[in-house]
Amino acid sequence: MFKLFTCMMKEEWRIHSTIFGSLSFALFPVMIFGIAFMGSFLLPLFRAVIPGGDLTTIIHALFLLLGIMVGAFGLIGQEAMNRRFGQASLLAYSAKSLPISEKEIFCTFVIKDTVYYFILWVLPFVGGFAIASPFIGIPLSLPALLLVTLTLAFLTGLAGVFFLSTVYARSKTALGLILGLFLVGGSVLYLGAGINIALLFPPLMLFHAFSWGMLGLTCAAILILSAVAVLLFTAEYTDTTKRYANAMAPLARRLSFFPYPPLAAKDLIDMRRSGSLVGQTIFSFLIPLGLLWFLLSVLTRLLPPGGVLLLFAVLTGVIASTMYTWITAFDSYSTYTTLPVSVRTLLTSKMCSFTVLQIIPVALIIAVSLLSGGVAYLVPALAVSLSVSFFSLSVTVWLTGLAPSVLVYDAKVLLIYLFLLGVALIVLIALAFINPYYALLSVLLFLPAWLFIRESFVKWEDLDQPTF
Amino acid sequence: MESSPLIIEAQGLSRQYGDVTAVDAVSLTVRKGELFGLLGPNGSGKTTMIRMLTGQTRPTRGSAIVLGLDVDEDPIGVRERVGIIPEQETPPSFLTATEYLDFVGEVRHIPDVRKEADWWFDFLEFSDKRDVLCKDLSRGTRQKLMFTQAFLHKPVLALIDEPLINFDPIMQHKVKDFLADYVKAGNTIFISTHILEIAEEICTKFAILHNGKLLHTGTVADVKAADQHLDGFFLSLVRKDGHV
Repeated sequence: MFKLFTCMMKEEWRIHSTIFGSLSFALFPVMIFGIAFMGSFLLPLFRAVIPGGDLTTIIHALFLLLGIMVGAFGLIGQEAMNRRFGQASLLAYSAKSLPISEKEIFCTFVIKDTVYYFILWVLPFVGGFAIASPFIGIPLSLPALLLVTLTLAFLTGLAGVFFLSTVYARSKTALGLILGLFLVGGSVLYLGAGINIALLFPPLMLFHAFSWGMLGLTCAAILILSAVAVLLFTAEYTDTTKRYANAMAPLARRLSFFPYPPLAAKDLIDMRRSGSLVGQTIFSFLIPLGLLWFLLSVLTRLLPPGGVLLLFAVLTGVIASTMYTWITAFDSYSTYTTLPVSVRTLLTSKMCSFTVLQIIPVALIIAVSLLSGGVAYLVPALAVSLSVSFFSLSVTVWLTGLAPSVLVYDAKVLLIYLFLLGVALIVLIALAFINPYYALLSVLLFLPAWLFIRESFVKWEDLDQPTF
Repeated sequence: MESSPLIIEAQGLSRQYGDVTAVDAVSLTVRKGELFGLLGPNGSGKTTMIRMLTGQTRPTRGSAIVLGLDVDEDPIGVRERVGIIPEQETPPSFLTATEYLDFVGEVRHIPDVRKEADWWFDFLEFSDKRDVLCKDLSRGTRQKLMFTQAFLHKPVLALIDEPLINFDPIMQHKVKDFLADYVKAGNTIFISTHILEIAEEICTKFAILHNGKLLHTGTVADVKAADQHLDGFFLSLVRKDGHV
C-alpha cells in the first residue's frame, strides 16, 4: 500500500507538472506562502473592518471549499484525464491490471489527496502566517492551532464530497435526501432559532474553544465519512452494452439559433451524459455558494442595506465563470483537428454554451433575493452577477484559451487573473456599498470583456492547441 | 504521373519544439492519383509533418500548398477539402458512433450523411456499435469510426497517420483494397507509417524521414526494379544516417 501511495503521489505531481509546467507548478505553494505571509501584515487593517471571529470563519470556509473542490474532481477525474492525456490509465483506475482491490486503491487515493493537498495548500498557507506571526504580535500557538483546524476543515470538505459522491454512485435519491435534510436542517436552525450553522462547523468550534474531546470528535467525524465512502465505493466498470438513442441531429436542429448548432449540441450531450451538469451544479456551484451565503449573512450588521446580497452576487459571478471549465473538461481539441473548425469558432461556441448555463446563477440570485427580502436590489444584483461572470470568463479565455484548468495551478496565470479580477471587483464592491444601484455600472465590465475576447481570438488562433 | 496536378507541395518545412527539431527543412511533392507513403522510425517527424500539412501545427520555417491553398493562410479551407485520420483515435467520449458521424456531417455540411454513414457501418462491419458511446468502443472500432469520418465527405485527398495499426488482418486487407480503389478513382492518399510491408504493398511513391530530415524520395517500383525490398532499402538508408 505504501508503494502504491508513493506512486500515486508521483503520478499526481507529474500530471500537474505536465499540464502546468514544472516551474509554474512548483511556484504555486511558494505563491500561497507569499500571499499568506504578506496578507498577515494586513490583519490589523482587516480587524478594523471585520471582527476576528468572522475572519477566521471565512478562512476556514475557504479551506472547506478547497476540500470540496479537490474531492469533486474525483467525480469527473477519469474522463477529464482521458481527454487530457489520451487513453493513458491512472493508478486510481488500475484495479483491472494490478492485484489490488478497488477499495484499497480508493483508500490510498483518499490518503494521497489528503497528503498532497496538505503540502500544496495548507502547509504553505499556515507556514506564511506562522513566519509573519512574531512581527505582528501573534503568539506562535495560534498558527499551530490554525494548522490543525484548517487541515481538519480541508479534510471535512474532502471526506464530505467523497462520501456524497459514493452515495451518488449508489443512489441519486439517497444523495437528494441527504442534501435536502442538510438544507432543511440548516434553514430551520438559521431561520427558526437564529443559529448560524457556520458556527457549528466542528473545526471552527475547535479553533474557538480547543479541547481534546472536540478534536477527537472532529477527527472521528472525518474518519466516519471517509470509512463510509470507502465501504460504499463501487468501481464504475464501463457497461459496454449501454446504448443511446441518437440525440445529436434533433438537438442540433433545436439549437439552430446558436451560431454553431452541432458544437452546442455536443457540449450539452457531453455535460448530460458525463453527469457533470448535475454533479458540478451541486458540488461546484450550489454547495460552495450555499456556504458563502451563510458566511456572508454573518456580515449583515456590518454592511449597508443590500450589501450582503450584492457581495453574494459578485461571488456568484466569480464562481459562475468557472462553468467554462464544465464545458471544456470533457473536450479535447484533438476531436476538432480533423474538422474544418477554427479555434475562434470553438471559443465562440463554448462562450455561447456558457451563456446558456448562466440561467443557473440567474435563477439562484432571483431565489436568494426573494428569500432574503432583497427584491428591491434584484436588478443590480443580477447585473453585477452577470457582468462579473462574463468579465471573469473573458479574462479566463484570454489567459487560458480552451484549457481553463491551467488557471488553477499556474502561478503566473493565476496571479494575472487575480490582479485583473481583483481590481474590477474592488471598484465594483466599493460602488455597491456607497449605493446599491451604483452596482448597475457593473455592465461597463462588458466593454473590457469584449476587448479581452477579441484579443483571445487572435492570441489562441496563432498558437498550437494541445492535442491528446 | 509526373504531369498530374500537384496536390501537396511542401517547401523547406521545419518545426522546432524548444531545442528539438522535429522536422528539418523538408521539401516534397505529391501528385494527383498517388498513394504516397511517408516512412520513418518512431519519432522521425512523420506526425508533425502531417500536422503541418493539415494546419494543426504551424511550421517554424517553410510553407506548404495543399490542393492549391496555402496551409498557413487558410488552414480551415484545407481541412474542409481533405480527410484526416490522426495517429491517436480520439472521437468525442460521450457521443455515440452515429452521433459522432452526424456531428461531422453537420460541421462539414454533408447533405445525406446518414446514408453515407450506413454504407461505412456495413463496409467496416461495425453496425452493431452505432449506438454505443465512443469511450466504450474498442481501439479497433474507434479506428473504424475515424476512418469513416475522414471519408464521409469523399475528399479528393486523405492524410492518414498509421492507417492500419488497430485493424485485424481481415480488416487490414479490406482497407488496403479500399485505399487502392480510392486512388484509382482519381483521388490522392498520403499515409505515414513505420510498417514497411504495408507501404511496399500499397504505396506508389514514398519518402523516408529520419531525425526530422528527408533522406530519400522515390517510387516503390524503382526499389523493386533494383531487386530490393522496401525494408532493406529503408534500413540501409537510416543506418547510413547514423541510426543504431
